[in-house]
Amino acid sequence: MLNSNTNALGVIFPNSYDALVPELVNVRLMASIPFASRYRLIDFILSSMAHCDINKISVMVNNNYHSLMDHLDSGREWDLVRKNGGLHIFPPFAEKTSAKPYIGRVGALASLLDFLRDQKEKYVVITDTNLVVNFDFKAMIQAHIDSGADVTVAYNEQEIPESLMKNLSNDKGFYYNFDIKDGRVTKIYVNSRDAGVKNFSMNIFVVERELLIDLINTASVRGQEYFERDVLLPQLGKLNVQAYKYDGYMARIWDTKSYFDENMRLLDDYNLDALFSGAPIYTKIRDDNPTRYIEGAKVQNVMAADGCVIEGEVENSVLFRGVKIAKGARVKNSILMQGSVVEAGADIEYLVMDKNVTITAGKEMKGTNTFPVYIGKFQTV
Amino acid sequence: MAKEMIAMLLAGGQGSRLYALTQELAKPAVPFGGKYRIIDFPLSNCVNSGIDTVGILTQYQPLVLNEYIGNGQPWDLDRLYGGVHVLPPYQKASGSDWYKGTANAIYQNISFIERYDPEYVIILSGDQICKQDYSDFLKFHKEKNAEFSVAVMEVPWEEAPRFGLMVADETDRITEFQEKPKQPKSNLASMGIYIFNWDILKKYLEEDEADPNSENDFGNNIIPNLLRDNRRMYAYRFNGYWKDVGTIASLWEANMEILDPEHSGINLFDEDWKIYSRNSGMNGHKINTGAVVENSMLTDGCRIKGTVKHSILFAGVHVEEGAVIEDAVVMGGSTIKSGAVVKHCIVAENVTIGENAIVGAMPTETENGVATIGSGITIGDNAKIGPNAMIMRNVEGGEEKC
Repeated sequence: MLNSNTNALGVIFPNSYDALVPELVNVRLMASIPFASRYRLIDFILSSMAHCDINKISVMVNNNYHSLMDHLDSGREWDLVRKNGGLHIFPPFAEKTSAKPYIGRVGALASLLDFLRDQKEKYVVITDTNLVVNFDFKAMIQAHIDSGADVTVAYNEQEIPESLMKNLSNDKGFYYNFDIKDGRVTKIYVNSRDAGVKNFSMNIFVVERELLIDLINTASVRGQEYFERDVLLPQLGKLNVQAYKYDGYMARIWDTKSYFDENMRLLDDYNLDALFSGAPIYTKIRDDNPTRYIEGAKVQNVMAADGCVIEGEVENSVLFRGVKIAKGARVKNSILMQGSVVEAGADIEYLVMDKNVTITAGKEMKGTNTFPVYIGKFQTV
Repeated sequence: MAKEMIAMLLAGGQGSRLYALTQELAKPAVPFGGKYRIIDFPLSNCVNSGIDTVGILTQYQPLVLNEYIGNGQPWDLDRLYGGVHVLPPYQKASGSDWYKGTANAIYQNISFIERYDPEYVIILSGDQICKQDYSDFLKFHKEKNAEFSVAVMEVPWEEAPRFGLMVADETDRITEFQEKPKQPKSNLASMGIYIFNWDILKKYLEEDEADPNSENDFGNNIIPNLLRDNRRMYAYRFNGYWKDVGTIASLWEANMEILDPEHSGINLFDEDWKIYSRNSGMNGHKINTGAVVENSMLTDGCRIKGTVKHSILFAGVHVEEGAVIEDAVVMGGSTIKSGAVVKHCIVAENVTIGENAIVGAMPTETENGVATIGSGITIGDNAKIGPNAMIMRNVEGGEEKC
């Protein structure tokens, strides 16, 4: 093997934080939420892994995963169709002894133990998909090796969003922040209500495969569910958990508002370049024709994918593939997902339109900057 | 296992009348319509018609074309048995030859065709923009119990002398073939798309090869020989969009017609007949505040800060503030710097047009040339490129070319 090979497996948790965006995951899961005009959230992590030569990737789906399976298909678009490795989707299965599928990471990884034991890669990289990031996993693995850590976890410094503190109760899921001393995580806070800038976990972990197998084996025997809370937190004295600071461009999705804001943030060229100037982000190919701007279209500050037909006015908006905006329609400060239609004379502002929504002729519909209105898939207004 | 029909796609032509665009590129690989290359059309037609085996005959500057075709996956032509195969000329135990003509190119690949034991072979040409259901064509061929069929278009009588014409009787049986005649007897122009019964094609290819005086060309040799022998030959009338894009003017025109699919152009928005292509992988295009985009087509990776009117922009084209693009075709990865004016022209891939440079001009009564900038060219700041210019070398700042 060449030195450039990363020697790591990838494990992705596509359902993490589903509870935070109930509307958006009504017909899907976090990983398959459309983002930035032509992507799904998982494209960013998956493309980053592929670019870092992590090409044996397990996607641990739990529920609502049909849209994700459709999106990922064989994994070809990410160059993840391989004889040795490639992309694998692991649906949950109920053990003989219990009728319920797993709840947290530990249960999911326990179901993967036989697979993990059979692999040769030295490291495992574990991530969620609510992060939009062009991430250099190689650098993080190198930092893990250099520091001699048992486990390395990525974080950034930011305030924990208010809505996260408000919405994420212990029955819905967890977020974590750390105390760090000389690079080592000394304390893990779970769902902390403490305001201010924190070392906010990105839930990206690097751990040696053999150690992970041991940790998961022990935890699952004890019936533990959550990797951070039940495995890392109680063993911080024993395990060397190192913190890896990330300060590149990142969008975190923690509610519908942040979803709206993070799409809009990419209308600034500086941010767009920050996210996309690195390795390309791959996605499912739809073979749309280019987008057509008809005579009379007026477009200002818009990001759009292929396959759209624009005849009306559009401002400060993100248009996904195949959106149609008829003559005399006005679209402002909105996100229009794939196949949405705004008919003649309709006037909309601050909407998040899910796939294949139609706003019929002449309708007026407006949300506000602080409360963008979400319209569900296939709805006609 | 035999295939009913396989396709042989002639893609070896230089396309010399496209000058700057085909210096390092075979004509079928020339970009078209914002995100396609010309060859995407026949390939997509094949797969949409149910043809899963395509041999692509290449010869001139095949590098880009080969890389573009790859394993055929973008067209769903990566198959266990069949799929797409690039067929360059090759060395044989006894001597080796370039492809001497269109018929010879097929002749040299008889063994490829025989691997699939087809009943019919369709010969396609890699330099046309057309959406056509070849299965309808085959149906016609079978109904007529033909041995050879050719797809034809009705053209205006005054233009007929520019084409190879099929003279047909009321049953569509071909009685005569006229190559660019002064006195046309028909206005049915050959589209260069043929269906042969494989046994007939093979027989005539072998005969043709044995004739030392032959040009080994379908139009000049094979078709006249079939006529001589009174073979069952039929003309299949096609009346959809069809355009030979062999010249700068016709390539530019076909691109512009896309902007008016309701009247003149090919409709690329057809969900039932998608044209497939290899994807750029770039993020969605972005139109900034202050930009103007009117009656144009944009695709992934475009960044527009200037003015774009009635133009086709390919993936990753950057138009800076104050730049104006009108009636232009700008291919992938090109940058139009601030204040530059680009009109009525074709700008190939990865070109940089410097600040305040002027490229091309809107047509006047006496002048309607389409300025053309070859790929990878840099046009310096304040340079001026006339409407008939064909630029194949970098142009210094302030320089004038006409």
